[in-house]
Amino acid sequence: MKPPGMTRRRFNMSDKMIHRHDKGSIFIHWFNAFCWIFLTLTGLGLISNERINPVGGWWPNLMRTIFGSGETLLTFHIYVGLTWAAVILIYILVRFRDSLGFLKEVFTLSPARDTVWMIKRNVQLTLGNKALKKMGMTTDIPPQGFYNAGQKVFAQLTVFAGLILVVTGIIMYLSTIILNNPTPAAWSRTIHYLMAGIGFAGMLVHIYMAAISRDERPAFKSMFSGMVPEDYAKHHHELWYKEVKDKS
Amino acid sequence: MKKKYCMVIDSSVCIDCKACMVSCKVQHNVPRGRWRNWIKHTEPDFSMGKHTFVHFQPGGCMQCDEPSCVYACPSGATFKDEETGIVHVNEDLCIGCGNCITACPYGARYRHPVKRVPDKCDFCSDRLSRGLLPACVDTCPTKARTFGDMNDPDSDVSRLLRDRETVRVVSKPVDTKPNMFYLAETMPADWPGSVEYPAAHQAMTGFVNPLVKIAVGISGLGVAAMFLKQLFTGDETSGNDKEEV
Repeated sequence: MKPPGMTRRRFNMSDKMIHRHDKGSIFIHWFNAFCWIFLTLTGLGLISNERINPVGGWWPNLMRTIFGSGETLLTFHIYVGLTWAAVILIYILVRFRDSLGFLKEVFTLSPARDTVWMIKRNVQLTLGNKALKKMGMTTDIPPQGFYNAGQKVFAQLTVFAGLILVVTGIIMYLSTIILNNPTPAAWSRTIHYLMAGIGFAGMLVHIYMAAISRDERPAFKSMFSGMVPEDYAKHHHELWYKEVKDKS
Repeated sequence: MKKKYCMVIDSSVCIDCKACMVSCKVQHNVPRGRWRNWIKHTEPDFSMGKHTFVHFQPGGCMQCDEPSCVYACPSGATFKDEETGIVHVNEDLCIGCGNCITACPYGARYRHPVKRVPDKCDFCSDRLSRGLLPACVDTCPTKARTFGDMNDPDSDVSRLLRDRETVRVVSKPVDTKPNMFYLAETMPADWPGSVEYPAAHQAMTGFVNPLVKIAVGISGLGVAAMFLKQLFTGDETSGNDKEEV
């Protein structure tokens, strides 16, 4: 599968492995991933007005065919959404300190380092080093902590969008049960759609990075095994690597 | 063949007895203070002395061909049945956002205070399925309301539409193409509002939708660029350069 020239830069299997994710984090990651994908696909299917649906009428029709009816589709969307919110909430409560640590980690940006990282890495990954040089920038990339700036921004987006999706979702769910004013439901749907749309834009990059990008393959594997090669950690998350080394 | 139900109304014979409104209310258990149909009237001008008159105009949901209520509903809970031309509300799909109620220029919908979903005339679909006429048509003592299938050339409505001149009460500036026809002429005609979509709906179509498309487009382009670069420039990836860090 890999061209012969590539092996040179492959991470050697005999590399020492470092612990990166525990079983709980791995579980919640995949649970979260499944729910986001399921809810994005079914949610897009709920906008059955083809004048409004960004991809047209075929997608809602397909979803209705798969689920049997619009009502079933809506029921699945609502209850998977509520289950998702409940499980995440329980996870946060059970692992309160870890969750706070995660939030602290992803919401701590170092403006100088992370801005440079964001600009350079985006150019490098899409246009290449030559373009980077043409733009008068060097090809060195600022060292990153446990998460790189891109992962942090995506994590911030999911936390922020997730919260708003839950709140607006519950408002829509309760609308016909207890709300006498229709306006909150109308705005909730608009905001729900906005958040899901922006989340999907981020998810595209996240999925590419994890499942297709060659560079981040060890990170993808670590979402199953919990371990990353030392070499990978050193090159992709240098600040975190040093932290781990200092501790041991 | 597909049906297209409509109503042809001779408003000149309406005596404002409101039997159509009452029978509808009873048939559909319409809550207090709410109506699925109506009788509008002109304001009498008493300066005309003995020629003073009032014109009555029975109405209800016009089952439009360009239904602004359907366009205002993102979830498809409000839809026009292709087989009958009747605009329905699927209460199980509805989240009660109220878009359709604002969007209807005729005020033909109200929010059900208990179910919290819109309620409207559906030409008594349950009665139709049992071979009965809509309650309002059935009950009208002067037979002002005629109901039937426009696509059936032998129906009463087709005959009336063919043989007589008819007018429609239309909204401005957007004509929703209503399927309620009035023989000769009718009054009042200036009462429909304009087709208005609520701010939340305008934000969704005018701002959020383009924004989401742009965001997903940019992110998709970025992913495509990264993928192509990975495919065609195997050796020159960041890995080598990062070792310089």
